[in-house]
Amino acid sequence: MIFSELYSAYYNTVAAVIRLAIDHPIKKDELRSIIDRYAFGESVLNIEPAIDEERWQLFRPDGSTIIKHLPEMPLTDMEKMWLNAISKDPRIQLFTDEIIEYPEVPPLFTADDYILYDKYSDGDDYEDEGYRERFRLILDAIKNSYPIKIKMKNRQGRLYKKVFVPRCIEYSEKDDKFRVLADNHSFGGTYNLGRITSCERFIGLYDEEEPYHTLAKRTVVFEVYDHRRALERVLLHFAHFEKEAEKLDETTYRVTLHYSAEDETEMVIRILSYGPMIKVLEPDGFVALIKERLEKQKSCRL
Amino acid sequence: MRDFYVYGFKSRDEYTRKSSRSYDDERRRLESLLGEHMQFRQTPEGKNVFISIDSRLSHHNPLYKAWKAKSFTDGDITLHFILMDIFADNDEPLSLNEIADEIDIYLSGFSEPKTFDPSTIRKKLKEYALEGIIETEKVGKELRYKRAESLPFYDEDVLDVFSEVAPCGVIGSFLLDKKKSPNELFAFKHHYITSALDSDILCSLFMAMHDKCSVTLETKNRLEDTLMEDHVIPLQIMISVQSGREHLMAYIPKRNRIKPIRIDSIDKVKIEEVYPEYDDKREVLKKMIPNIWGVSTQGRSGDRMEHVEFTVHYEDNEKHILRRLEREKRCGTVEEIDKNTCRFSADVFDSTELVPWIRTFICRITDIHFSDRRIEETFKKDIEAMYRLYDMEGGEGS
Repeated sequence: MIFSELYSAYYNTVAAVIRLAIDHPIKKDELRSIIDRYAFGESVLNIEPAIDEERWQLFRPDGSTIIKHLPEMPLTDMEKMWLNAISKDPRIQLFTDEIIEYPEVPPLFTADDYILYDKYSDGDDYEDEGYRERFRLILDAIKNSYPIKIKMKNRQGRLYKKVFVPRCIEYSEKDDKFRVLADNHSFGGTYNLGRITSCERFIGLYDEEEPYHTLAKRTVVFEVYDHRRALERVLLHFAHFEKEAEKLDETTYRVTLHYSAEDETEMVIRILSYGPMIKVLEPDGFVALIKERLEKQKSCRL
Repeated sequence: MRDFYVYGFKSRDEYTRKSSRSYDDERRRLESLLGEHMQFRQTPEGKNVFISIDSRLSHHNPLYKAWKAKSFTDGDITLHFILMDIFADNDEPLSLNEIADEIDIYLSGFSEPKTFDPSTIRKKLKEYALEGIIETEKVGKELRYKRAESLPFYDEDVLDVFSEVAPCGVIGSFLLDKKKSPNELFAFKHHYITSALDSDILCSLFMAMHDKCSVTLETKNRLEDTLMEDHVIPLQIMISVQSGREHLMAYIPKRNRIKPIRIDSIDKVKIEEVYPEYDDKREVLKKMIPNIWGVSTQGRSGDRMEHVEFTVHYEDNEKHILRRLEREKRCGTVEEIDKNTCRFSADVFDSTELVPWIRTFICRITDIHFSDRRIEETFKKDIEAMYRLYDMEGGEGS
């Protein structure tokens, strides 16, 4: 395996235990809480006995450690190569003006080594200095929970003003766009960073709006008919959703998928892209949306 | 893990793929790594276990955990922390004997101290030198060792984003593990996380590409459950942000052609010798890219190039359709015919690759032509089949 055990959760867990044990002999509950945070579900069954039975000879029976210095591991060449690669990505400038490079190793990959071939072409402009400044201000506002005042253009080009506390920045690889998410109603609480024309810290009395769950979930249930390897394509395509799949017979599968209400139109066209390999069963409203498009298509007399 | 996550409907009996790990072992491993995402469903055939993750709500790819569970021995972990501590105490490089003596002192307090013979220590130091965390220097005939310098690297914000969006993001996740606490400032939409499981393959391919080397690939045929070996020249990685699939575009010397190979079908990559014509083959691929819609370099028609065009109609208040076509056209061209109609056209190696995308315009396609008439017929028949699927046969719609 190309990734050594140096990167393993167990090594990180033991490093965290040592850090604490250098300060004071570690107690069982402290050990378990570190394992819980850094390792996996059943790791406690491995780590505790390994320490108790002195198989990992790093800790004394009283919980102190033979290690004198806080554990520190230099960057591996692989890590430096990856960091060199992301340093060449234009999005790095959103975060910092100080590009870090490790000249002793090459980048793991360059822009010529891979293509995101189905990415939309109208992505955000990361070279725009104003965009980068707004990105950084919004990120700071999220970290420090203060309101910002933005001006933005809607799809029709009309200018809007809005004050809100940003909660999160969301990135879509398909759209190549960043969006700011906030817990308020306007624009569904989602603001395309590329449409924001100005952004500043809001100083003044800010009345927090009623929280609104922008990611309200809807469910669609459909059958997949496994012709032309449709099943694999469908399940991979919809893999990023919370979903359940069930086999009905040798070629028919039933998929229940949960999606955000705001993405309904996108879901309709994504399902249409599978043609007769998918039939939507419920809810009725979703079936109606599909039928409406098919009715219109019929009238096109193709 | 992929089967539990992507498919999720398979019962115990259906996990037939050859593996030294039994179904129960694999299920237990997954429960330990991804317990919070595991779900169960009772069926007449028994209990089905599956992983369900809404990647939009997960700030960090949970599948990276698969790479953080590599097994090691009691000696490996003991030696690691003692070695790092010894080096932290010494700025000057140490000889193997000095290191061995120090290790003995560290372990002397235990009732049954472990012993590490010099060859074990040397092997570990060599391994660490290859990883880059140990530096070596030769003094006379003696090799001396010291810890590599600890260098600064990007903060959590950068790592949070790039570990999710950059190729081989798992390495960013390893780096994030070194930071105090992960943030939840970023979320990711349309986020495919399955490729995490192919990180080692992708990493090896990038390394081979950097050195302009050929590779021997061990690939599996999912349908036949067989393994085969291929000697290929890795040229470029094609990543779909709309399906999460990753392909290697490779030159196959024995067939003298460039073709895509699914990365999730590759089991092993063995990097071979430098390929002298590497730059030439990459140039050939570069010239082909403007006619590749997805990844295919050969259509079923046998024609070198296939043509496809279709016309869509939109109302005055549906100008976003034109914008959609413009941003999604890839290598195609969009031509406005009048204020409510436009035509898309493209010349590609394999026009079947466009079919799913063209179907997303169902409700407004007024005309369509494929140079391969069979594809056109299938397209139209599929639309008829959709009408039947929703009991909309007969008539021409309202």
